[in-house]
Amino acid sequence: MAAGGRERRCVVNGTVSAPAGVGLRTTHVIQGEFRVSDDPAVVLTTILGSCVATCLCDPVARVGGMNHFLLPDGEIKQDIGFRYGLLAMELLVNGLLKRGAQKPRLEAKLFGGAMMNGGLGRIGESNAIFARRFLANEGIPCRAESLGGTLARRVRFVPTTGQAQQMLLEDQVEPDRPQPVAPPGDDDVTLF
Amino acid sequence: MSIRVLAIDDSRTIREMLRHTLTEGGFEVHVAEDGIDGIEKLPGIAPDVVITDINMPRMDGFGVIDTIRAAAEYAGLPILVLTTESAQDLKDRARRSGATGWIVKPFDDAKLIGTIRRITVA
Repeated sequence: MAAGGRERRCVVNGTVSAPAGVGLRTTHVIQGEFRVSDDPAVVLTTILGSCVATCLCDPVARVGGMNHFLLPDGEIKQDIGFRYGLLAMELLVNGLLKRGAQKPRLEAKLFGGAMMNGGLGRIGESNAIFARRFLANEGIPCRAESLGGTLARRVRFVPTTGQAQQMLLEDQVEPDRPQPVAPPGDDDVTLF
Repeated sequence: MSIRVLAIDDSRTIREMLRHTLTEGGFEVHVAEDGIDGIEKLPGIAPDVVITDINMPRMDGFGVIDTIRAAAEYAGLPILVLTTESAQDLKDRARRSGATGWIVKPFDDAKLIGTIRRITVA
């Protein structure tokens, strides 16, 4: 967390006068996780350094979700890190579809991908490129983004409205450390 | 002659990845973007194996399995499910419907290629 860090608040979609999700129930999304909700009382939050959070919302079905991922080696190629980034995206999209969202209606907002002092080099940039490419490839419009820079971010996202807000965290050390990525196990293949 | 694969997935990114991986593995790869598209392309492609995602619009992977297994001309056509889902009840449903196998993403290239070779030789 950014305990003691100074915050610069920035409303990303420009439609709110109060902090997004104030008074709502908070669910924090950590690295490697995703959360989906159609509950108007829920706000999803996360803290990002090099990691990227993809926020998706179907404004018609009023369901949305957030993932939080870090490509382990920062490379955009067909390796296991790329696969896990892709998995993070697919799990989020599938989670939304199961709650009634339709892919053609999905709208995205992207956050994170910073290159922080003492951080993880250019991994943040690679994460941002990966996320943008994925959305473009899948035809999901990116309505707003705040990627890159040198500061960590605290993000709040209201999944049912798509309203998002970020706070830039000064004096914040890199909060993202790559989680160990295990290769697919033997039990991932089942022949009937 | 190359083994002919029809890969059905609603994600363009996954389709491109499968095309790349399986072409590198020596297969002839065709893709479809959902179950309906895959079923419509079946006669023209006459694949040796079908790989299908589960969660797709219009027709999901179970619809693909059921449709293929209901057609006598595709008797014996191997169907491999490639999905993010790992729940046992879904695997059981696929097995009862006549799927040949189930692979959970993210997949390992060598295992996927080895599995395709195994089920197309059998």
